[in-house]
Amino acid sequence: MVQERRILYEHLDVPDINTFDVFRQYDGYTRFEKAIAEYQPDDIAKMVMDSGLKGRGGAGFSTGLKWSFVPKDIKPCYLCCNADESEPGTFSNRYVLEKNPHLLIEGILICCYAMGIETTYIYIRGEFTLGKKMLDAAIKEAYEKGYLGKDIRGTGLNIDIYSHPGAGAYICGEETGLIESLEGKRGQPRNKPPFPAVEGVFGKPTVVQNVETLCNLPFIVGNGVEWYTQMGPTYADTRANPPTPDPNTGTKLYCISGDVNEPGVYELDLGLTCSELIEVAGGLRGEEVKAVIPGGSSAPILTHYELDTRLDFTSLTLAKSMLGSGGIIVMNETRNIVDCLLNIMKFYAHESCGQCTPCRWGTPWVRDIVQRIADGNGRKDTMTRPKFGVAENGRWGDTGETEEIYEDLDLLESVANNIANVDTMTWNTICVFGIAVSWPAVSYMRKFRPEFEATIREGKLVTLPVAEATVPPEENYAYQQRFVPKEFADL
Amino acid sequence: MAFVKLNDLEIEVEDGTNVVEAAREHGIEVPHYCYHPGLSRPANCRMCLVEPHVFFPPAGAIVPDRQLATGCTTVLRTAPPDRKLDGKYDFIVRTDSERVKKARADILEFLLVHHPLDCPVCDQAGECDLQDYSHRHGHDKSRYLEVKNVPPKKDLGPDVLLYATRCVVCTRCIRFADEVSGTGELGLVHRGSHDEIDIPRSHEGVPLQLLDNKLAGNVVDICPVGALISKDFLFKSRPWFLEKADSVCSGCSVGCNITVEYKADGVYRIKPRFHEDINQHWMCDDGRLGYHYVNSDDRLQLPLKRVDEELTPTHWRDALAVITEKLSEMETEDIVVIGSAQGTNEDNYVLQQFAHDVLKTTQLGLFGQLTGEEHKFPQFTIEADKNPNTAGARTILGSANGNVVLEGDALWEKVSGAKVVYLVSGGPERPLEDAEKAALESVDFLIVQDVLPSEATQLADVVLPGTTFAEKDGTFTNSTGWVQRIRKAIDPPGEARVDWEITQQLAKQLGGEMNYHFAGEIALAIAEEVPEYADATHQKIGDAGIKLADSD
Repeated sequence: MVQERRILYEHLDVPDINTFDVFRQYDGYTRFEKAIAEYQPDDIAKMVMDSGLKGRGGAGFSTGLKWSFVPKDIKPCYLCCNADESEPGTFSNRYVLEKNPHLLIEGILICCYAMGIETTYIYIRGEFTLGKKMLDAAIKEAYEKGYLGKDIRGTGLNIDIYSHPGAGAYICGEETGLIESLEGKRGQPRNKPPFPAVEGVFGKPTVVQNVETLCNLPFIVGNGVEWYTQMGPTYADTRANPPTPDPNTGTKLYCISGDVNEPGVYELDLGLTCSELIEVAGGLRGEEVKAVIPGGSSAPILTHYELDTRLDFTSLTLAKSMLGSGGIIVMNETRNIVDCLLNIMKFYAHESCGQCTPCRWGTPWVRDIVQRIADGNGRKDTMTRPKFGVAENGRWGDTGETEEIYEDLDLLESVANNIANVDTMTWNTICVFGIAVSWPAVSYMRKFRPEFEATIREGKLVTLPVAEATVPPEENYAYQQRFVPKEFADL
Repeated sequence: MAFVKLNDLEIEVEDGTNVVEAAREHGIEVPHYCYHPGLSRPANCRMCLVEPHVFFPPAGAIVPDRQLATGCTTVLRTAPPDRKLDGKYDFIVRTDSERVKKARADILEFLLVHHPLDCPVCDQAGECDLQDYSHRHGHDKSRYLEVKNVPPKKDLGPDVLLYATRCVVCTRCIRFADEVSGTGELGLVHRGSHDEIDIPRSHEGVPLQLLDNKLAGNVVDICPVGALISKDFLFKSRPWFLEKADSVCSGCSVGCNITVEYKADGVYRIKPRFHEDINQHWMCDDGRLGYHYVNSDDRLQLPLKRVDEELTPTHWRDALAVITEKLSEMETEDIVVIGSAQGTNEDNYVLQQFAHDVLKTTQLGLFGQLTGEEHKFPQFTIEADKNPNTAGARTILGSANGNVVLEGDALWEKVSGAKVVYLVSGGPERPLEDAEKAALESVDFLIVQDVLPSEATQLADVVLPGTTFAEKDGTFTNSTGWVQRIRKAIDPPGEARVDWEITQQLAKQLGGEMNYHFAGEIALAIAEEVPEYADATHQKIGDAGIKLADSD
């Protein structure tokens, strides 16, 4: 049985850990003091690079690498802490903010010290009223105790933190959308490049980091890189010669919800499998697993065939999905995938910021198509067509069989791919919201095609048994949505 | 200069040019909606997607980039020597690959999802980017079966209507109001597919601010579809029925380049034309809507002469005979000839030649028609001098030896003592001030050459019907010394004649030796006689205009 390894959440349940004095009893701010006493800023940046810490916000981009892109000669430089946790199925940052906000402040201090930053903005989700209250109290306390403000602890460091509540838009969790919103504009993502590391808040270089990423910093500094890299697997990217390490180190706050007996946030090493995770969360509620959403609602779905997929950044990328924000939603055999997709598409159609054409008018269209199918009005042609797939010679081509034409499924796939093509991983949109829409749309439809077809045929929502509802991996294109070279190996 | 491979062309472009502009210079269309050269580039329409090529080390080859890029934000620059593609190119980009074509068609499909397809009743039809690009790049049918959004039609301001159903949310109008006029009346309301352009409103929907700045009409021009519509032009004409003449606005001394769009029965609308140094892409609403006097039913169509205290229509021969008779019996010092800042350089040149050579007078006046307020915007200025040619008229009238150009009080003092005054006016009506009126009343014999009945024509003994800027060829000189051409669009109403022709006819009848046949010939004479205007022949002025050498 896999055990939780609580690092970020270690003292979460200590009473009054949100106050400075209690936090201090549990090594609070000692890691920051160690950082300024023992290390130069560049050492910290190097430690973060060596630790292999990947951004926990969703994209899984190497934090050290991101820091290295920030020009050293342009000041001021800003830190933006992304606390706009709004991916459906994700609720880990919220507990940090509500229960242990000083940990975040310590992480911010270390980041600011490493990058020479004097001003930090915490963009906190508007709905987190308690989190905002706790955070503001902690910031106030840190100012009073001399850990924020001018000349911190007599080191000459000046660091200010401002918390800024969002107004409820999902897209403001996208880093440039967040920056626009922070600047007081409409929350609409910017064109990239320039990336925020070069031109971010108020046109200055900006480091945008998720709460969880920043909370990892005190432990990397406090316990050292070696201790940190012991957690989680490191793969080798064999595309390079010699193979370069692809670390998935540290722990991850997995938010497990759906059909499990004990849903909640679990802090575990990266690299556990889906099945192990379900077990940690008290086991499945119901007979069998039908599907698992591994990384928030925008991640492509995993079927029961893929339950041994390891939940880390690299493995999930190879499985044509993503770890994303770590919001894992488990579905049992009673769930209807068409209905699930409709739910998710309603969310995205509502949250599209409307800035660029494909997303503005594509997302509601996708929702409408799914709605039509779910309502029992999906269209099916009376004609059949040759079925393409893995042919007798083992190559892609005409299989000699025929298949029925489900017009609305073709349309759904085509429209979703026109917003962002999941097969080539190219998008015509400004930000990756487009792919966040078409990924679920196409992956649900391809992997659970029998259920969609049955729903269209019957003219009403039909929930098929798990084995019938799922397309098996060996014969289907559904599992090869995303082009990723397969040359990764365990290091 | 960057050396770029654009499709199969090898071109050189200035550093900093974007792909859309570079392609346009070479006759390749990259369709776009949100991009406008005079505004910032949000790249939100995604229509101008192009395919950049990059060097891919594992393959050791130049391959199409994984993602398409927007042509408007892809800027071409000289690459460092070690980053050249194929050893020589600074950039390689295709605008005609299958991927690009598919992306364009897909975006167009999205753009038309909620579009009402009401081209038959849309003013923009015929000059609509959505129509044109759909025709050239789009699918021929829609796969959209769902209900379309129908946002309400809105009245944004005095001259602008918003047909929100047709809007593609390119935000050009918003950026114009933010960046060029700096007034910021426009914004987006709602979100996602319910995005709407709107002015600030209270919760009850009552407008808190109207789109009523003096540049508001430009949003209609820059709207790529039929969403923003000018009330002035609404349902007046199909754009393809309109003929076009490149001209210069006569509304003020800025001299905005315009296109006069007309049919046989009058001017229908005026649109700005790009000039980098004068008006860029814009013009003000005063100029845009100020053409109505040209089409007025009150226009003077026949010469008038005073018979028994009444102005009575007569014919040209009679009117000119009356004037000739009167002028020939006058002493030189009793005659004052007044030119107009509304007239062209050519009109004023013939007038001063008539005064100087035929009437032998050196005392000329310049009738400043109108003055107004100056309006400054971040990227545009409307000048206070409401005459298009004050600078030119002043120079030209004073060009001959010993000529003195009187203006203001000095002029009216001179007029008070004169027996015959030949006043050339033109342009929109302006009430006379008391001093001016008193001076003109005291004149024995007043000849007024104008386009509309005015207080001056009320006092006149003979009225000669002249022409407006839309009815003649010539040149205007703006306040910064740009000499630019105006071109004849419509025929003058009735028997009205071009101003310099009237003056020339008078000169001929009084024995003058003047024989110009067209305005360009006069411009040649000006070029010979007036040193500043040595280059200002119509050929050299062309479409771009020329700047006088000695002006700032």
